[in-house]
Amino acid sequence: MAKAKSKKASLWHKTLGVTAILLIVGFGVAIGFLVHWQLVEGEKLKTQAMNQSLKTTSLTAMRGTIYDATETKVLAQSASVWTVVLEPNYIEDEATKKLISSGLSGILDLEYDYVYERTNYNNYFTYLKRKVETETKDAVLEFMKENDIDQGIRLIEDYKRYYPYGSTASVVLGFTGTDNNGLAGLELYYDQELSGTSGRMVSLKNAWGEDMPFQYEQLVTAENGYDLVLTIDEAVQSIVEKYLNEAAAQYSTKNGAAAILMDVNDGAIKAMAVSGGFDCNDPFTIYDETVRTEIDALPEEEQNDAYTAALNHQWRNKAVSDTYVPGSVFKMISGSIGLDSGAITTHTAFSCEGSYVAYKGTDPIKCWVHPGFHGVETIREGICNSCNPFMMQMAKVIGSKTFYNYFYAFGLTDKTGVDLPGESSSLFYTESELLPVELATESFGQGFTATPLQMITACAAIANGGYIVQPHVVEKILDSDGNIVESADTSYKRQVISDETSKTMISILQENATTGSGKNGYVEGYRVCGKTGTSEKVAEHNEHPEEAMEYIASFCGFAPADNPQYILLVFLDEPDRSIASGGLMAAPVFSKIMAEVLPYLGVEAQYTESEAEKNSTTAPNLIGKSIAEAETLIADADLYYSVYGDASDEDAVVLMQVPAAGADMPVGGKIVLYLEDKIAEEDMCVVPDFVGKTLSECNDLANQAGVQILMTGAATDIMLQSQSQSIDAGTRVKPGTVIKVQFVDMSGLEQ
Amino acid sequence: MRETRSQKRGSTRGLERLPSSKKAAAPRGEVRERAENGMVLIRKRIKYRWFTLGAGLDLPLLILICILLAVGLVMMFSASYAFAFANYGDSYLFIGRQSIFAVAGVIAMLLISTVDYHKFHRLATLIYAIAIGLLVLLFVCALFDIEAIAPNKNGATRWLNFGIIEFQPSEVAKFAMVTMLADYISRKSDRISASKGTYGLIVCLAIFGVVAGFVLLEKHFSAAIIITLLAFTLFFIGGYNPKHLTVIFIIGIAAAVLVLQLPMFSHSLLRFMGWLDPFNPNPPEGVDTWQTRQGLYAIGSGGLLGVGLGQSKQKYLYLPEPQNDFIFAIVCEELGFIGAIIVILLFAMLIWRGVYISINAKDKFGTLLGVGITFTVGIQAVLNICVVTNALPNTGISLPFFSYGGTSLLMLLGQMGVLLSISRHSNIEKT
Repeated sequence: MAKAKSKKASLWHKTLGVTAILLIVGFGVAIGFLVHWQLVEGEKLKTQAMNQSLKTTSLTAMRGTIYDATETKVLAQSASVWTVVLEPNYIEDEATKKLISSGLSGILDLEYDYVYERTNYNNYFTYLKRKVETETKDAVLEFMKENDIDQGIRLIEDYKRYYPYGSTASVVLGFTGTDNNGLAGLELYYDQELSGTSGRMVSLKNAWGEDMPFQYEQLVTAENGYDLVLTIDEAVQSIVEKYLNEAAAQYSTKNGAAAILMDVNDGAIKAMAVSGGFDCNDPFTIYDETVRTEIDALPEEEQNDAYTAALNHQWRNKAVSDTYVPGSVFKMISGSIGLDSGAITTHTAFSCEGSYVAYKGTDPIKCWVHPGFHGVETIREGICNSCNPFMMQMAKVIGSKTFYNYFYAFGLTDKTGVDLPGESSSLFYTESELLPVELATESFGQGFTATPLQMITACAAIANGGYIVQPHVVEKILDSDGNIVESADTSYKRQVISDETSKTMISILQENATTGSGKNGYVEGYRVCGKTGTSEKVAEHNEHPEEAMEYIASFCGFAPADNPQYILLVFLDEPDRSIASGGLMAAPVFSKIMAEVLPYLGVEAQYTESEAEKNSTTAPNLIGKSIAEAETLIADADLYYSVYGDASDEDAVVLMQVPAAGADMPVGGKIVLYLEDKIAEEDMCVVPDFVGKTLSECNDLANQAGVQILMTGAATDIMLQSQSQSIDAGTRVKPGTVIKVQFVDMSGLEQ
Repeated sequence: MRETRSQKRGSTRGLERLPSSKKAAAPRGEVRERAENGMVLIRKRIKYRWFTLGAGLDLPLLILICILLAVGLVMMFSASYAFAFANYGDSYLFIGRQSIFAVAGVIAMLLISTVDYHKFHRLATLIYAIAIGLLVLLFVCALFDIEAIAPNKNGATRWLNFGIIEFQPSEVAKFAMVTMLADYISRKSDRISASKGTYGLIVCLAIFGVVAGFVLLEKHFSAAIIITLLAFTLFFIGGYNPKHLTVIFIIGIAAAVLVLQLPMFSHSLLRFMGWLDPFNPNPPEGVDTWQTRQGLYAIGSGGLLGVGLGQSKQKYLYLPEPQNDFIFAIVCEELGFIGAIIVILLFAMLIWRGVYISINAKDKFGTLLGVGITFTVGIQAVLNICVVTNALPNTGISLPFFSYGGTSLLMLLGQMGVLLSISRHSNIEKT
């Protein structure tokens, strides 16, 4: 019995022992690990678990719109587009892969193999095509619906930038990259303001990326970018670009051309044009076909570099990024310095002998008129003659220190701080470097460089009573509700010359633009002031003496003289050497632009008596009148007429007239009265080529052709030469049509 | 709880109803058994009545089983519904099937508990033969790739599919081996003690070895480990010399590793590396610690108090098959450390009660069978929780009462029925 009992006890002990081991060791270890993972490491693991299930979806903010000054024309706008993304790991069987490949390759206009290759990628996100239009997105959705595909293809909303005016103001606007970030121009400078803040949505997702049924979502809404309202007016910009491109082509400028039109009083840039440019919607294509053909013709290894160079060239905003030697245009600044510093008065006279020795022992510096000379001049004649020796002698009186102080005050040593990227620094002599020869050279605008924008800002100070304004392109920044976030600072930086000096200078410049060296910049009725400039690219010539000297032809002027409002600078870089002259090339461009832009900008024309006399009347309205009635009206207006059609019919009335009622026509010109509403083709006139002719030659040609000419441009009549015509030669027009012919005065122009 | 009431009402308590070993002359209501020494043992037949189940049935054990089953079902539903919805479009798919098996299992358990466990003395050889037959069938089917009967799941063939039911022969084999060993050791008990724990060890090792061999052939290492632990527990309790057992155990493990593992050893090594560093973002080629990692994320997310029932985030397809082997991780996440400890305590109590019933069983067969069944559950629970907490390398062991698996649950509850049957004869307080 004892044995049995011990046997039983042994069984008990053993069983209990094994059980104890199982429970204590087994569960003990398990609980130990549980404490470690759940209590000690718990927070860390919890965070990691949350991180894997919290998915952040980025919500793209819409980029702001860029409006022109009228706030009605949209220069740049973002619109919804879609990015098609493939999720290869969700596409399981081969048949679906093939179906998707053939379907999407058709809709997205891709190669079948390209799509098929991507369906086999081992990932969950492969770009297929970016920025497709909404119609394409709908087609993809339709395809997915038809074929019952609910995973493997994703459509992500995105934005694309549209520039409705294409190449207009392209270098100012710039463009954006694929990620909607600004890469050039205003898009770059105001990138932060335009892009807004992208939002994000944080939500819990299961391992398949689907939402979990938990109320856990954090939404940070995307804030759309601000809108920009520019000071640039699309209409003005287009006019400036039209004439600038025309001039660049006509004078075959090797290095392009630029023009800036600015409000003299607040620095608002109304137009900033650079010849060439590009299509903002397609910035990576060479815009100029000739250049494109040239590059294609190059050997393959050179094409890439040439392509890059051409792209950089077309993107470059010459008006702020290029510096140039301002030449004689600077004389209006030198003159202002002279008058304002008290070094000279309007009566102070210097003598021009054709050349001037600035410092004893140095070579004489010639006047453009050399071997001729200007004789004794006051500042008025000095500027109107664009006389170099006058300026040099004046500068000597002013002295280096004063000259430099004014030079600095005019803003020619600092960047203007315009709200555009890539503004260049100018090169100039510091006060201590401004020795007699350098001072003399600088006085007539050679020996230093400035950006066109610096020059126009300095010149604007002469026009507006002496104030340095802050040039700017963006007038105001609006949030998406239209509230003004920021307005341009239109206050003056400083006053550099007195109002009196400004007035004196305006009067001199007005005379210069009417009868002096700038007379080809004359705009009828607009009392313009201006100064021409023909500068030599001395530095470049010194670097490459084997090549002929290149020139810059420029003109800077403003109007109207009694209350200057707008200033325009035209700058032609390396035009045709044979006739390079600011007065002959840049001034007419200025004249044409101002004639068209000023009325648009609301500057009223006031014709002087002589202008009214010389110029046209407007054609009276004769339509619906009988010939007898018409005859009386025409006689009253000192015009004459001819009749097209059967004049013997007494009941006939005028159905059509050329020129049309209200149109400009030469005084004493002819009105053709049409009694029929159709003109036989053989009666149509061919417009002759008037360019490069004298006034009398033009009149003869017009008479022969049966058309009339209306003279515009230079207000003098000494050595007129026609420069351009409003209707191209060879065009067939109705008899009696008035063609405006722009004349320039060839006399007294600096070379 | 009809039986509770009937127990209270009934004047008879388990102790008094114990079959008496006195020799009774009454031919009716007697059970005659032939003992080892040729003597005829006559016991009084216990009258079981359906509505007086309390007669001898251990109530604490039954309550523990019911609690574990209920908690297990709730947690299985919670763990499975996202997975079921994502993969089958029906959140109730798993819980629906499991519930049917649970109901059937409880009925089977109660029915079996009314069966005198001594029947398994005679049935032991038959059950063992059937189990070996199933293992052979599985092996043959796997050899000839007969997928209709032996489907290949996740690269391993461990399941037999007879259309309506699908089960793992290794599950059957565990019970068969326990029964067979209990039968043999209890019958040879005297000789074993007489021989100082050596008699019949070969036979016992053979009973174990055949089962273990087949399970190893199907590369079901986790089952082999459980079977080995079970067998050696029974050997030890059965009175075999512990020194011999230790030597045999070590030699056996070494032999198994040498014979079977040479090509697979590298695989195990990789698994070992994954176990040591489950959070390595760049695990060595072939090591996949995703399941372990996600399980630990779940445990960590639970913290002390848990995220709340049904609020697990890891079950949303991060933790693969959360209703299966890693269900305990979801328990930890939803019920927290407190909940996990309570579940562990429930298992511990179940094991304790099972062992307590077994050591107080009327005879050695009852003790061995009871301990075997209890340890089948206990070892699985311990190993499963150790795997989920990364205390052991990841291997496929399900958590009894919790993990999804209909036939597995049915067999588990059937075995609980046997344990309850033993409890009727056990010399303990039962209420």
